[in-house]
Formats: sequence, C-alpha cells, structure tokens
Amino acid sequence: MKIEILKENLKMALNVVERIVGKNLSLPILDNVLIDTDENYLVLSSTDLETAIKLWILTKIVKKGKVAIPVKFLSSFISLLPNEKITLEEKKQGLYIECKNFKTQIQGSNPEEFPIIPEFKNLEFVDLDIKKVCQGLSQVVDIASVSQSRPEISGIYFLFSKNNLKIVATDSFRLAEKTIVLDKAVKKEISFIIPQKPAKEIMNILIEKDENAKIYFSPNQIMFEVQMKESEKPQIQITSRLIEGEYPNYQDIIPKDFKTKIVLKRDEFLNQIKTASLFSGKINEVKFIVNSKNNEVEIFAQSADIGENRSSLSAKIQGEDLEVSFNHKYLIDGLNNIKSSEVIFELSEKEGPCVLKPVGDVNYLYVVMPIKST
Amino acid sequence: MDNKELWQSVLAQMQFHVSKANFATWFQNTEIILKEDKTVIISVPNAFSKEWLSNKYNKLILKALHEVDDQIKDLNFIIKPQSLKINPPLFRNNQIQEKVDTEQLKFDEFKVNKETNLNPKYTFDNFVVGSFNELANAAALAVAENPGNVYNPLFIYGGVGLGKTHLIQAIGNKISENGNKKKVKYISSEKFVSNIVSAIRGGSIETLKNSLSSIDVLIIDDIQFLAGKNKTQEEFFHTFNSLYEKNKQIVLSSDRPPNAIPELEERLRSRFEGGMIADVSLPDYETRLVILKNKAQEKNLNISEDVLEYIANNVKKNIRELEGALNRLSLHIKTNNDGITIDLAKQLLKGFVFSPFDVVSFKKIIETVSKFYSLDEKSIFNCTRRKEIVKPRQVAMFLLRKELKYSFPAIARKFGGKDHTTAIYAYKKILQENEENNKLTEELNLIKQRIYSG
Repeated sequence: MKIEILKENLKMALNVVERIVGKNLSLPILDNVLIDTDENYLVLSSTDLETAIKLWILTKIVKKGKVAIPVKFLSSFISLLPNEKITLEEKKQGLYIECKNFKTQIQGSNPEEFPIIPEFKNLEFVDLDIKKVCQGLSQVVDIASVSQSRPEISGIYFLFSKNNLKIVATDSFRLAEKTIVLDKAVKKEISFIIPQKPAKEIMNILIEKDENAKIYFSPNQIMFEVQMKESEKPQIQITSRLIEGEYPNYQDIIPKDFKTKIVLKRDEFLNQIKTASLFSGKINEVKFIVNSKNNEVEIFAQSADIGENRSSLSAKIQGEDLEVSFNHKYLIDGLNNIKSSEVIFELSEKEGPCVLKPVGDVNYLYVVMPIKST
Repeated sequence: MDNKELWQSVLAQMQFHVSKANFATWFQNTEIILKEDKTVIISVPNAFSKEWLSNKYNKLILKALHEVDDQIKDLNFIIKPQSLKINPPLFRNNQIQEKVDTEQLKFDEFKVNKETNLNPKYTFDNFVVGSFNELANAAALAVAENPGNVYNPLFIYGGVGLGKTHLIQAIGNKISENGNKKKVKYISSEKFVSNIVSAIRGGSIETLKNSLSSIDVLIIDDIQFLAGKNKTQEEFFHTFNSLYEKNKQIVLSSDRPPNAIPELEERLRSRFEGGMIADVSLPDYETRLVILKNKAQEKNLNISEDVLEYIANNVKKNIRELEGALNRLSLHIKTNNDGITIDLAKQLLKGFVFSPFDVVSFKKIIETVSKFYSLDEKSIFNCTRRKEIVKPRQVAMFLLRKELKYSFPAIARKFGGKDHTTAIYAYKKILQENEENNKLTEELNLIKQRIYSG
C-alpha cells in the first residue's frame, strides 16, 4: 500500500476512529486501526467488538493494500506533524511515514487478524436529519441506568412510529423522553435499544454532520451511515450491537394527571436547587413546599452537620398545596436538558411520579420520582 | 454422540490451530444448536463472531467436524445473543446501594416482570406461615411444585392485606423460577376486564383468546370484581374451560368464598368450587410478631423487642397496617438518627393504634352483620321470629358478648327490651353451633375479619 494524504484530513479521521478504541489485553489487535484502500478512498476501521467505525477519505492511492497500526500511537504522532502532505507506505506489516522533514517507521500487526466488520445485507433503512436526532439524543443519553442488573434499561430506546421518533432513557428513578418529528412517516413500527456507550459515540461523531443519515436495521445490529456529497460512497458508518430484550412499558409511567401544576423561571429554579443542594446532606434531599396563597414555592434543605437553607421563588400555581422531596441531582439533570426560559413542573399525588417539561415545547418530557417524604 | 460432545471435540482441535486470545474471543459462548443431515448450525454470540468464524475458520471447523462425523458437509452460523449474566459481586454491590437509597422511590412498573406481570419481591421465602394461613400456604406450595395436577383451580380467599396477593404471586414466581419454561401470567381482575372490553371494542377478541389459551399458569387476583360483568364472565368461562381441559393451572383469589360472591354465574361458581378452596385469615399475635421481626430485618432496622411486641399487640387489623407502622418508625429512625423507645413508639403510632375506624363498636357489629346477611340494619331489631332474621340477630348478640364483652342484660336492652335470658340463649346457641357447624364457623370468621379490617 502506498498513499498520499493531507495531514489535516488524516488527523481528523484518526480522531474519530480512535474514540472507541481502548486498551484490550486479551485481543491486542483491537488496539489497531485497519487502514485499507477502496478505489480512490482510504478506509479506516476500528472496533471494540461492540461498536465499529468505518471512515472513507478521498486520497491519492498509489498502490493498494492494507495495514493495521496501533491507533492511539499513530494519532498522537500524526497530530505533531507539520500541516503538509503525508506519504504512507506499508512494508512488511509496518507503516512508513514521510512528511517534510520526518521519516518514520511504526510497527503494525497482521491486518488479516483484524476483525471483520459485519455487513448489512438486508437494506431496510430510515433516512433522517441526524443533527436533530443527535441533539435529541443528547437530552436523554445520560439518564440511562449504569447498572447492568437490568440490561434493557442500560441502553437508549428508539421507537419509530408513523412520523415520530421517540428516544427514551431511564434508570428506574427518572425517565426522559424526546420526541422528534420525522419528515417522512415510517411504514411500520421499528424499535431497538442501543447500549449507552455507542449511543454517546454516535451522538458525538454525528452531531456535526449537516447531511442526512441513514439508519440500517438488523435484528442484532444497527448501522448509522452518512453519505458523501460528491459520490456514492459513505463517508462514515457506525455499527453498534443492540441490547436484547424488551423495553419496559414506559408509557404507563408517565402520569396522565397531576395534583398541582407549577410554572417556574428555569434559571432561578435551577439556581435555587443548586444552592439548596449544598445543604442537602447524604441523601441529597431537597424539599418543595407549594404555597398557592402567596403564589410561591419554597425550597428547603437541611442536614444535621451543615445547617439549613430556605429560599423561595414566585410561581404560577394550579391545584393543591403540597410538600414533596426530591434528590436534587435528578432535578438538576432534568433542568439541564431543558432550554426554555420557563419550565412546567407537575406534581402528582404523594409518592407518585412528577413531570418536568419545557414551556412551549411538547417534545421533551422528564419524569422523576420523589424521595419518600419525611 | 450428541451435539455438545461433538462441539467439544471440535473446540479441542481448534485450540491447536488458533492462538489462545483468539480462541477465547471467537469461540466463547458458541455451540451446535442443530445437526441436520449434512448441515450443522452453530450459534454464536454476536455478528463479529459470525463474520470471523464463517470467513476465517470455516474450513478448519468443517475439517474438524468431518473427522468426527464424515456425514457433515456444510456449516451455518446464526447469531444468538447471550443474555447478560449478572456478576454476583456486582449484584451484591447493587443491593447495598439500594439499602442506602431506600428513600428514593422507583418506578414501580419496572420491578414487574413484563411477560408474567409478576413482582419478584413476592416469594414463598418471605411469606410468614402461621395457623391462620397454613392450609393456603401448603396448597400454594403443592400447586407451585406440580402445577396443573394437584389442586385445580386453587381458590384463595381472605380479607384485605392478609397476603393473598403475596401468596398467589409467589406461586407464579416459583413456577417461572423453576426454569421449565412454563408460561405464567398474573393479571388483576380489573385489568382482565379492561382487556376484554378493549378487545371487544377493537374487534380483537380472538387474538386475546389465543394469547390466553397458550398460558400454562393463569393467576387472577381479586376475582370478586367479575361480579356483575356478564360478558367478561362469559369470556372467562371459556378461557377457564379451555385451560382446565388442558390441565393448565388456574389460581384465583378473592375477598370471599365463591358461594358468597354475588352475581356470579352458577357455572363459574361451581367451577371455582371444583378445585381447592383455602382461606387466609387474621394472623395471631405470635405470627404478627414474627412478621414484624422479618420486616424489620428486611429493612435493616434496629428496633427493640418490646417495641415490636407493642406493635404486634396493638396493630391487629392486617399485615399491611403492620408494615405501615414499621415504616413510620423507620422514617423516624432515619431522620433523627436515634433509637426508638416504647414511649416514643406509642406516640408515633397513635394513628395506627387508635384509628377511629378501628374501634369496634356496637354500631359496627350491627352494620357488618346486617350487611353480611344482606339485611336492612333496622330489620335486625324487628320483633319477629322469621328465620332469616333470627339467625343474624343471634350472631350479632353473640359477637357483642364475645368481642365487646357486653353484659347479657345490656345486649337484651339494645334489642328492644328483650329478656336477658334471650341473649344468653342466643350466645350459647351460636357458641355450640360454632363447634358443630363448619359453615357457621366460616361465616363468623368472615364477619369478624370485616369488623376488624374495616
């Protein structure tokens, strides 16, 4: 293999493919990036056997061939090179790099050892605005459960139905749901659960793309593909394993009615919770006291060793007066994902789920369970 | 040679050709799932393994297989995802964390198994057995061990908060745990009715029937709510029959025995009575104490014996109340970080011990008795010797004496100035019949349960 490529292009590509590579002791080949050629394109692949990334770059190909090189090492080396044209040449499983004043040789591994990235044979796909999806995903992705004891809720749930895409995550204490309206309705309902880590990678990599992306489905895997503008080739493909299992009937959890509905200024609300959180002690408890007479919500936190804090903010209140406690972390997480200047906070009966949502946007919903009241 | 041995011999050979790391990566969780004529189908855990084995090791595997069995000419791979196994240490970690976080509430729905609708927290292990539920427990255990063959249907009845749901869910959990792939379905009557209603509306009653007929163990809670819902009863009747004929287990619970459920079709009633009927009644003092101790241990509470004894002595209504009382104390311990003395407990549990609804009064007894025998409250005081009124009146007198320790003259006065010997006669008669007549004993128990569970 021998190719010529601009440093910037190679650096950018390596920065993407190295994301999913970690230190793999049992199978060291996974530390490598597979550099391959395809017509006039250089193809970079990396995988951790859960996720795989494949990237195409238009380059000058002098001689075809392939090589597997430790990707972290290669990436840090390339980023130090001057911003010039680089020549890459493969000799005996090693990579010879020439760039202006540098002549380098990096030892690689046998490219035949590199895992084969599964192809998608059935071509069922959805075409959608990936930027919107990734932005939606970012409002949800951190909520998923970290614990593996319930594998199905450790991932992010995607549900395509008619012209809606719902992205859902929960850790059984709270749940976030983002609805994205699709330009084109899907023919049949499709749903799958992506593990959290690949979902984050997909989000981080694809959020910068302005093009539409295609999502290809198979029973065990999913692939996101963005095509090149100038040719038929994909510019990037991200494949991920799916989590087996059925997602819980999350719709049942979203309360249909509520006892008290309050509308608050988001920034002020967030600020007061953060202040109260300093006093909330080990169980992170922050108490809300709704006072409809004064149109006020009082926020209260105390702990034996620190002290106590009381603050209030004005609110539009509908419904009964009540007191309810929450873990401040869960509220802050929810509020951080809401960008509108006002938020609606719907409190349901004692010890039932409560809902946070932005004013003027019906497409985001954050359900949170309270702390048992004292 | 079975498939397992065959695959083992292949794996043994492959070890010579493949590096250890590769072997561990690609051959982990693989097995032969089918051998048919000349083709062998191998299941692999993920798409990567499939690609790798079919592209790189296909020939090697085929050769190894061929050496053992020269019939084999072809290989196929299919992906069979592994259910994630939970590492025991990880799990323990979780439990500890859960204990710390008990105040943070969870979505209840998530604890429930989606397929069976069972809540895994109900098991036989944490079910406290006493004389009051011995029979029901034994029957439930027998059913769980041998579903469909011993007592079918199993009908469990008793007042609120006495553990009916716990018991019947425990049956379901035990059966599905046994791993013999029995399809278990737990459903509350209310949900059952709404399913049928929406199926009728959506014209999908056949699909509903089919989904019900494939169940091995059907558990329906609070069956008394079917009363008066004729269409549902009819559907249920057919489901019941088709399951019963196939020796599928049916478990039902209700707050009263089948013959006391009003507006239940005769054919259903007779079927409910055709299996085993067992009751759970109010726990006695000792059992209440055991339950309290168990629950305190579960919640990791350190409560002294005399406080538990105080609760057991004073909270008698049902087990749910016991738990409520304990929760009250646990909250206090957590917020104030100090122990519970008996005086503090008395103060905290005021609401549980002296609830106005709890106090058994003259009025309550009359009300319950007349309601039980479907009589007007006034008619019980009527000066008549009609049989249907005499018996309830005697029962009421008996209970006033027994539960409220009324004097005989006082009872007589309450019943319109009768002679006190009438009251004595009534008391003695019921007492005696109580010993001879099982039906009456049962009636008395039910009335008492209702009086106390209010």
